[in-house]
Amino acid sequence: MKLAIKLAYRNLIGAGLRTWLNVLVLSFSFVIIIWLNGVMKGWDYQAKNDMTHYEIGAGQYWHQDYDPFDPFTLAESHAPVPAAFKKEIDNGNMIAILKVQGSIFPQGRMLPVVLRGIDPKQGILKIPTHQLDTVTDAIPAIIGGMMAQSAKLKKGDRVIIRWRDDNGTFDATEILISEIFSSNVPSAEANQVYLSMKTLQDMMLLPEHATILTFADAHEPRPDISGWVHKPRHVLTKQVDDMIKTKTAGQSIMYGILLLLAMLAIFDTQVLSIFRRQKEIGTYVALGYTRKEVVMLFTVEGSMHAVLAAMAATIYGLPFLLWQAKVGWTMPIDTSQFGMAIAQTLYPVYTVGLVLTTVLLVTLTTAVVSYLPSRKIAKMNPTEALRGKLQ
Amino acid sequence: MIKFLLKGLLRDKSRSRMPVIVVAIGVTLTVFMHAYITGFMGDTMEMNARFSYGHVTVMTRAYAEEAEMNPNDLAILNTQELLDELNTQFPDMEWAPRIVFGGLVDVPDQTGETRTQGPAMAMGVDMLSPTSREIERLGLEKSLRSGTLPSSSGEILISDEFALKLGVEPGDQATLIGSTMAGAMSMENFIIAGTISFGIELMDRGSIIVDLDDARMALDMYDGAGMILGFTPGGYYNNDESIARAASFNETYADSDDEFAPVMKALGQQGMMGPYVELTEVWSVLISLIFILAMSLVLWNSGLLGGLRRYGEIGVRLAMGEEKRHVYGSMIIESVFIGLTGSVIGTVVGLSFAWIIQVYGIDISGMMEGASIMMPSEIRTRITPPDYYLGFIPGVFSTVLGTALAGISIYKRQTAKLFKELEA
Amino acid sequence: MAFINTTTFSQPNANALLEKVDENMASENRISESTMIIHGRRDSRTITARTWSVGTEKSFTEYLSPAREQGTKMLKLEDQLWIYSPSTDRTIQISGHMLRQSVMGSDLSYEDMMDTRKLTDVYDARLEGEETIGGRPTWVVHLQARVDDIAYHSRKIWIDTERYVPLKEELFAKSGQLLKQTTFSEVKQIDGRWFPTAMRFKDMLKQGDGTEFIITSIQFNQDIPEHMFTKAVLRR
Repeated sequence: MKLAIKLAYRNLIGAGLRTWLNVLVLSFSFVIIIWLNGVMKGWDYQAKNDMTHYEIGAGQYWHQDYDPFDPFTLAESHAPVPAAFKKEIDNGNMIAILKVQGSIFPQGRMLPVVLRGIDPKQGILKIPTHQLDTVTDAIPAIIGGMMAQSAKLKKGDRVIIRWRDDNGTFDATEILISEIFSSNVPSAEANQVYLSMKTLQDMMLLPEHATILTFADAHEPRPDISGWVHKPRHVLTKQVDDMIKTKTAGQSIMYGILLLLAMLAIFDTQVLSIFRRQKEIGTYVALGYTRKEVVMLFTVEGSMHAVLAAMAATIYGLPFLLWQAKVGWTMPIDTSQFGMAIAQTLYPVYTVGLVLTTVLLVTLTTAVVSYLPSRKIAKMNPTEALRGKLQ
Repeated sequence: MIKFLLKGLLRDKSRSRMPVIVVAIGVTLTVFMHAYITGFMGDTMEMNARFSYGHVTVMTRAYAEEAEMNPNDLAILNTQELLDELNTQFPDMEWAPRIVFGGLVDVPDQTGETRTQGPAMAMGVDMLSPTSREIERLGLEKSLRSGTLPSSSGEILISDEFALKLGVEPGDQATLIGSTMAGAMSMENFIIAGTISFGIELMDRGSIIVDLDDARMALDMYDGAGMILGFTPGGYYNNDESIARAASFNETYADSDDEFAPVMKALGQQGMMGPYVELTEVWSVLISLIFILAMSLVLWNSGLLGGLRRYGEIGVRLAMGEEKRHVYGSMIIESVFIGLTGSVIGTVVGLSFAWIIQVYGIDISGMMEGASIMMPSEIRTRITPPDYYLGFIPGVFSTVLGTALAGISIYKRQTAKLFKELEA
Repeated sequence: MAFINTTTFSQPNANALLEKVDENMASENRISESTMIIHGRRDSRTITARTWSVGTEKSFTEYLSPAREQGTKMLKLEDQLWIYSPSTDRTIQISGHMLRQSVMGSDLSYEDMMDTRKLTDVYDARLEGEETIGGRPTWVVHLQARVDDIAYHSRKIWIDTERYVPLKEELFAKSGQLLKQTTFSEVKQIDGRWFPTAMRFKDMLKQGDGTEFIITSIQFNQDIPEHMFTKAVLRR
């Protein structure tokens, strides 16, 4: 075997340009498969990460009547925060959020919005809630970039909001946009206005009430609390999973074609090698190699393309992949229409498993493609072969 | 000379068969790949086009300002006149007036009292005119889960999940309570013809599809439309072209200061589609380039191999006194034929594959197990004009280049050694 | 004594003022025809209707024009509201968030018409001063909600000092933000009472010219059969 490898290596290097072309194409497959998969992983990671940081934490409890798709349910979907969570909230491991319906009146237009109450001192979500503590004559509020765009609001703008308290009494006041944040999480931004929890509870006459409870620690066993529905993280990120699944499925076809291309080159090379090197084959047999061993020799030789390609991929691909992971790849996908969390720039995430799987996949495929034409050797008549007679 | 070379190629299969097959396969892959990338990348964009933005959209200026709120009080009121104008100015495009509005679906019990109610997003599309392609465009036939598509006015489609929530089935009656474009409450009775599922949670939760004329009736907007979507004939979005169309249309109204004058916007000029369109283009070009490069390398290699394959033959020819330059020249010409033949075959085969997948799609539902069908469970290719010539770049150019490089070795061969080589 | 009389006269008790307004505005029952002009961003629409009402608890409205609204009927009984649409032949109860919808596209919501409690029952009235509106001297009465379940936390009413009809009303949010304004005009003497026959409603947070409401004819204390106020009448 050792000899086979040595021979294969010499043969390949000796072929010069032809080998290097094959190796280059094959190494493309490595780099592109790893890169695209990395982008996918990165996307998955980023989307869930952004959702975690701006919306869902490690999971949530929803008031049993809360339906994110039906704003009319908001009037009924709140209740006092269960006593069982008081401690967790006090420790800063859970935040209570109250969501109510309201209207905002930028430039005399009326836009329906959801007013969200959130503790300004919370540390679970990255929303810059500390800005809700700004001392002004108007109520400080923060909004997301998407909301700012649709309502044409800027930081420092004053705008009137109107809502009805729990009794149905109208109330309206001026708010000051003290900060605009950008989260890549449409559901956290579109038509959402964040106010201090205490302020909103007072405004609504709903002290201690909340609609959603977001917790930071996923590992703690989660009790069932009557009136509240536990929504673990994986349930809340299901849309992202589905999206990634489709895109991954779509990409795997691309890898397939790329690999097919590389295999075309290997196959062509192998067919020619066997055709041209009949004398050599005859010699091996004459020297006492079994035909199986000769087939093995040629298979190893073909497969070695993959090994060389892996090395080539390391030389130029590794810096590329690392550079990508650092500066990111701007992903041409806009899913904000579907209310999903996708950033425009993604940072690929490569896992050891991904790299190993890719190497294994490419090497195995190469081995198979190298073996197929080599089977012909087994059918050769060694004497004729030795004489170089075409068979 | 050329005739002679062609005969040689045709008769000596070893000279032509393998190289042509390799070139053909390579070109097939390149063409198919490009069509695939275009389809795959454009998927989300086309979905947005079909459902919301068209390739271009015509709205009133005031509507365009608040388009995301679907302000039907600012809708187009002279739709037919505008359609005639659009058809004259852009005879190659298809136009689809739509009305998107919110309402409440109210289901009566036997006594006519309200049994259940639920908020709905309604889309008024032309489902009944024989010339309308809206049913196909929205994939309604495919999305149908039960019942049938509406066949007469007064029939609607309702999202499957919503129907379940309301406890209604095809054949049941429901009242749509909405407000007219003037803001008055309006009620309209409908028969549920069928239930649909789009696979997008937001839409599946509570959407209904109403025939355009019914929507006009319900909203009291005779000859009105919230927007008129325009679709380019190939069914594929071309950003530059669409922006140019929009500009030329808007030119007509440049002098008007009427806030209800129509304005045309390309897909890439609406909502958040702008950056997406640009990125899709960049991405497609990048992936295609990588592929063409890889393909070129493979075919270059194949050219080299072809040269090697004929090592002996060339030796004989040189030994017989044929000039090196002549041998080299004939090899190049032969490779042009091989490249062309392979490229033509490859392009035809690649386009056929691409066409099949464009029409039938690749079902990836197996890979989507456990996923709510929120994403298309099919991948489709999309054939665009570049597919007709793209394959020739690696197909001809790289094959010839490979042969040219391999052929250089002809000049290195020494006549004196030829016989020795041939003996061996 | 005379002095006391004068002060009472010049500074009347706010509740008494409202009572006097009530005497003018309220009646056992009435039948009226009205025209509503809704000023939209694009154009204005005119809607006419005939209304039968008994006190503030029961009312029945039938729309007469435009053609599209003709035959649409609305029945209010206490705190319940039904709408009948002839094209669907269905009667729908308007409740919950639907009450917040605008009436026929106007600046009025169904809910605005629903609170039938007497102002003096739910608000504490306080005379705030005197002002002149359209050349008529008025008392300015400030109303502060006494109950919780009320849409407008405070109101201000300008009452004609001689005719005891409101000339202007403003509705405020709890914060004091002005939300809606109604102005009354064309005060006419009908059956011995003063009555404003034109009103203009305006949502002060929104752009626009608001909604005009004109009473074209009104008759008080008529014989209205009890069956006018049953759901059966809607479908008739």
